[in-house]
Amino acid sequence: MDFGQIFAIIIGMIFVNNFVFARFLGLCPYMGLTKEMSSAIGMGMAVVFVMTLASMATWPVYRYFLDPFGLERILRTASFILVIAALVQFIEMVLQKVNPALYKAMGIYLPIITTNCTILGVAVLNIDTFYKDGKPLSGGFLGSIIQGFSAGIGFTLAMVLMASVRERMEMANIPKPLRGIPIAFITAGLMSMAFLGFSGLIKMT
Amino acid sequence: MFVPVIGASAAEILILSGAGLAGLGAAFGVALAFASKKFQVEVDPRLEQITVLLPGANCGACGFAGCSGYAEALVKGTADIGICSPSSLQATAQIAGLLGKEAGEKEKVVAFLHCAGGKVSKRRFTYDGIGTCASAALIGGGDLACEFGCLAYNDCVRACPFGAIEINEIGMPRVDPQKCTGCGICVKVCPKNLFELVPANKTILVACSNTERGRFVRLICDIGCIGCFKCAKTCKYEAIEMKEGLAIIHHEKCTVCGECIPVCPKNIIHNFAEAGVPAQQESAEPPPEGNQS
Repeated sequence: MDFGQIFAIIIGMIFVNNFVFARFLGLCPYMGLTKEMSSAIGMGMAVVFVMTLASMATWPVYRYFLDPFGLERILRTASFILVIAALVQFIEMVLQKVNPALYKAMGIYLPIITTNCTILGVAVLNIDTFYKDGKPLSGGFLGSIIQGFSAGIGFTLAMVLMASVRERMEMANIPKPLRGIPIAFITAGLMSMAFLGFSGLIKMT
Repeated sequence: MFVPVIGASAAEILILSGAGLAGLGAAFGVALAFASKKFQVEVDPRLEQITVLLPGANCGACGFAGCSGYAEALVKGTADIGICSPSSLQATAQIAGLLGKEAGEKEKVVAFLHCAGGKVSKRRFTYDGIGTCASAALIGGGDLACEFGCLAYNDCVRACPFGAIEINEIGMPRVDPQKCTGCGICVKVCPKNLFELVPANKTILVACSNTERGRFVRLICDIGCIGCFKCAKTCKYEAIEMKEGLAIIHHEKCTVCGECIPVCPKNIIHNFAEAGVPAQQESAEPPPEGNQS
């Protein structure tokens, strides 16, 4: 894994193939938690944390359990969900005990993202990116972790951008039928179009 | 069609995947059960009980981050017991009992709005900005002809966590003393500082805040206090003081006898214990001057 590849992964995940704007994943917390900046940042932090750890946890499961037994395609979704859910539960328990302050800041968002499609999405994406013809690429584990982390950063960026717009929109004179979620979706669509400017920079897998 | 495991029969695949997933699930289940025991957090049972007793409105009047914040501080011993104004006396006493301490006496206070104008008040200009009092007050003190009065864009109505402030027939916010808990949020929210917290039994107050002299007040408002001194002279208990052009009733001395109310030529002294719109607001005409003592 040379620096160029790592850089490509990071830029790709944050700007070019942003999970919200390019892949349209994670729209539930995106719409629900961007009403205020504080909740958007809290959720973003939680997602970065969980995405990185989920990448770290699902790769060994796939590599050493599913792949050798030939169960990759049957059990991938189910076992990933199992692993991620157990992992998040464990993280929540540990966090509450070890760092109550951090738990107060972002621990409440952990149950929400347990089975969120973004986390499963990043786990599956790691497999798709770092497996060629059924064989894992060298440096795949490190690449998965970096990819997970950058995807989380990209998600946080999307959340923060949306929260800043929505806080301003509270004050604006929006037509009654469009208030709340409808105008948020329109805004998200417009932001997605803006991010289209990055497309083609790095090939999406 | 995909071939999952090369050379394996359907039964073998089923057993393998089922057993694999079950095994994984069992392993994680055991690990989590073990972890939950090891990482157990000690929670004081009183915390739950106190949180139930508190109003749960999360108004923040106590100064803590919501009712749960206050409950935590109470259990830790870093907060006083009687500072939650929305709590009933009974709930406060129960909380005190749980913590093994004495509760202090707390007098019920309610909020009163010192303005009676509402939408019928004269406006200086047409305001077409953001429809909140805070925004309108930034433009030269607001679009009202009277620089002291209520702008009636209902910031207080929205801010009250108990729904105690309603808009009456002429667009004026009015506090319902039954629902008001004296939390003080409206006092902080009003950009013109028109709310005052008064004891719940001292219900007679002057609904005006304009301290200018009578001839200026008459130009800009039909119902504002003109500083004619009639109420101050009538009051037997010397509870009414004239501050420049405005009468102020001091609730410490007021005995709520009500003799000042009919004497006022503008009918601007209100008894907030009485429901409904005060009589003078139903007709826009103020009574003529100089027809009694």
